[in-house]
Amino acid sequence: MQLGKYVKFREEKFGGVLFETQSEKVYTLNPTAAAIIRELGSGCDATELTQRLADRFQAPMDTIERDVAALIADLRQKGLVEDARS
Amino acid sequence: MTQITGVTPLPGSSIPVSTPATTTSGMLRAPLYVAWQVTNECNLACMHCIEESGPGKAFKDELSKEQVFDVLRQIAENDVPYLSFSGGEPMLHPYFFEMVEYACSHGTQVKVETNAHYLSPEACARLKAAGVKAVQVSLDGANPESFGRMRVRGNFHQVIEGLHNLHEAGVPIEINHSPTGFNAHEIANMVDLSAEVGADSFYTGRTMYTGNAVKTWAKLNATDEQYEQFFATLREKTEQYRGRMRIHFHEMGLLEELQYRLHHPAALLIVLPNGLVKLINALPFVCGDLRRQSLTEIWAHFQQAWQDPRVAAFVHALEQDPGKTAMLHQWISV
Ligand code: SF4
Repeated sequence: MQLGKYVKFREEKFGGVLFETQSEKVYTLNPTAAAIIRELGSGCDATELTQRLADRFQAPMDTIERDVAALIADLRQKGLVEDARS
Repeated sequence: MTQITGVTPLPGSSIPVSTPATTTSGMLRAPLYVAWQVTNECNLACMHCIEESGPGKAFKDELSKEQVFDVLRQIAENDVPYLSFSGGEPMLHPYFFEMVEYACSHGTQVKVETNAHYLSPEACARLKAAGVKAVQVSLDGANPESFGRMRVRGNFHQVIEGLHNLHEAGVPIEINHSPTGFNAHEIANMVDLSAEVGADSFYTGRTMYTGNAVKTWAKLNATDEQYEQFFATLREKTEQYRGRMRIHFHEMGLLEELQYRLHHPAALLIVLPNGLVKLINALPFVCGDLRRQSLTEIWAHFQQAWQDPRVAAFVHALEQDPGKTAMLHQWISV
């Protein structure tokens, strides 16, 4: 999974922004969502991503899984992420 | 772990798109979008040109090569995600391709806004190789007659050929259309033509009463009834082309847009050919000079500049006297 072709991510003090340059819409991310996007930037899948975040935030896997799944569903629905291009 | 609240569109981000990157820009460490008018020179002299560009209209003090690449370096270093090159006609700039290639290779998404008279197969191949996000072509008529009326010195067939070359090269195409009293009824054909030439997106909105349009308004102005029909057709076309071509149109007039911006400045810097930086294209206010200041310094001042009382006073004065937009190029530092 990765950011859409026309989506740019930038870290900010408050977390980050995603800029979708096709529709020219900007989305704010809280620090946790920004951390997820940063991990996505490394091209990992949802399972790896959840594991890394669980390690990093010292939180139960099922909580993280739920949060990550909700965020990714939201990102997908907005066309901000896509499956990795080969 | 804190609950992920996720992805929130910034306030007003559904406001489209001729002045994009709508955001509460004060939160951000750098602009999200730089719209760079690289030269005021143009091969055309359109009736509605906001920049009043044309042959021989390059500014005397346009940025040197060294200055241009210094600005590009700062754009990359500040992680500005989106950059457009316009003019005048940007493809007339002596370093146009080098600028595009530099920006693309540093991770910036680049849009080129052109009148499409220089889009040879070779030029299109080079734009494709550079990796531009899109080339936006101005097309103000669905046939040579209405196109030629608006785009003085323009050649409709050359534009269609340029679009064909872009499509062949695989460069994403965006069409920008300015409605007038004499072309508004052609909007359905315009949208169809855009789809035929392979456009991915179609942008339009009310033609602004600024620049050359102030002088030519009597010939240009579309009536409220014409606009009503125009937008109704666009709504139908949006449905017809859903999934094939995105149609973006904004019904807001210039004044409403400016009133909105007073409270919600976009995270957008407008860079003029001489390095001056404007708050917004349709106002005369300048908030920095890239020949003397860094992009970071100018951005740090941007919010404060919008709060200068002269900006709000100018917008309020426009409510009484829309002709004040004729002062667009008499820059005022804030
Ligand atoms: S092609 Fe664009 S820049 Fe040139 S005169 Fe026409 S509107 Fe102005």
